[in-house]
Amino acid sequence: MLNYIWIGLILIGLFVAVGNDIIDEVQNPYRNGEPFVSTVLLKKAPSGIRQTWEGDLVAPPDYFNGFYGTQRTQEPIRQPAVISKSADGTASLTMNITDASPAWWREMAKSAGSKERLLGRVVEFSVSEDQTSARVQVVLESIRFVKLKAVTQAALDYAAIAVNIALGLIGIMALWLGMMKVAEEAGLLQVLTRILTPVTKRLFPDVPPDHPAVGAIIMNIAANMLGLSNAATPLGLKAMEELNKLNPKVGTATNAMVTFLAINTGGLILLPATAIAVRAAAGSSNPGIIIGTSIVGAGCATIAGIAASKLLQRLPRYKKAMEV
Amino acid sequence: MGEFLKNLVEVISFIAIPLMFLLFLGWGLIKKVKVYEVFVEGAKDGFNVAIRIIPYLVAMLAAIGIFRASGAMELLITVLAPVTGLIGMPPETLPMALMRPLSGSGSLGIMTELMKVHGPDSLIGIMASTMYGSSETTFYVLAVYFGTVSIKNTRHAVPTGIIADVAGMLAAVWIVNLLFR
Repeated sequence: MLNYIWIGLILIGLFVAVGNDIIDEVQNPYRNGEPFVSTVLLKKAPSGIRQTWEGDLVAPPDYFNGFYGTQRTQEPIRQPAVISKSADGTASLTMNITDASPAWWREMAKSAGSKERLLGRVVEFSVSEDQTSARVQVVLESIRFVKLKAVTQAALDYAAIAVNIALGLIGIMALWLGMMKVAEEAGLLQVLTRILTPVTKRLFPDVPPDHPAVGAIIMNIAANMLGLSNAATPLGLKAMEELNKLNPKVGTATNAMVTFLAINTGGLILLPATAIAVRAAAGSSNPGIIIGTSIVGAGCATIAGIAASKLLQRLPRYKKAMEV
Repeated sequence: MGEFLKNLVEVISFIAIPLMFLLFLGWGLIKKVKVYEVFVEGAKDGFNVAIRIIPYLVAMLAAIGIFRASGAMELLITVLAPVTGLIGMPPETLPMALMRPLSGSGSLGIMTELMKVHGPDSLIGIMASTMYGSSETTFYVLAVYFGTVSIKNTRHAVPTGIIADVAGMLAAVWIVNLLFR
């Protein structure tokens, strides 16, 4: 199943990206090849041998929106630009894209060669008599295959993020595994396990009630409910390792593992601290109002997950996968 | 009430872990465990566990990254939008429900954005934050947890996770509509 979901995510992603790029090619929302007409308020005239002008490219919002076909901005455009003429008479324009630049140009720069710059070919350039302004017609660089570029970049970025997450786990993992080992040797986990045996026996009938896996599972669920995600993941991974020691068929998920994951993905948490923090930051008059509703939501998710794991494990196809 | 809860959240997140350390090590000391040696013995595995999940995490996150960057989410939302009205779900919260199982940072971003636009105490704001609290990042959990024990055949784990997510989202819509509409 994970196979199909995985390949599905990738194939759908690639097809949609190609589709979007084809639509872009037809509709040309970036106006590739069409001249943008505007005025440049000059700040610096050419000096010496280099034929360059510096100034601000200005255009009314109506023209910008009309040019790009939809409502892209409400503010007048004022974008620093440099125009330079080369020896053969052709001229080029360079815009340094910053946070003050129009959002649509920022978007275009992301897909262009450099994130900070948008280049253009100057079709017509005439400086006014008093040398303070100039009329310019510029064809900006062609923006093509935006989504395919984004998809490529995302694949590379996320691969790097995955490694960073894993590396970041090394220290926390070692800390909690060490702590767990001490608790195990001291018999603390066994005490916890014994108290909760009536519950765990029903949830994980395949796991002996005094097995170390049960202790780790209890610790993981407790950490999850308290919202201690830094502790919950290492404890959960420890629980998975212990459950795997009982696995008759290495490489295949056991019933107990799936039930355990169902509890984890249900995400039952007594205090949804992240959501509360975001609500408080957004100026909510009562950030904690969602505690009750979240517990209901996550409670339903957890119960549905446990029920689903117990029912689905009886299906012949999943039973067969467990046969050694 | 809100202020009290915020303080409570803070206090718990500050003291829970030191308290656990104290309990674990103190209990060990009482039971005459050689705490230092045993700790180091256990911590030794930390590196291997973290390294072992890398291929699984790369596979999962890269696929999710491709899906998100392609604009497929927007397409899915257009397709599903007519259905949301039937279950009393504001269409604005649909991206939240779809993103939650895939990406933690993605759904956090959507929640923040919805609150900025519609206000945290609007129906949409409350529903988005309830949805965020009603589920975990299922596919991330699957990749990491199964990765650490090199499970390749996940059997019924994926349908189970999806059923739990759908149940969580529907329950969030139901309870928020019941209490706040």
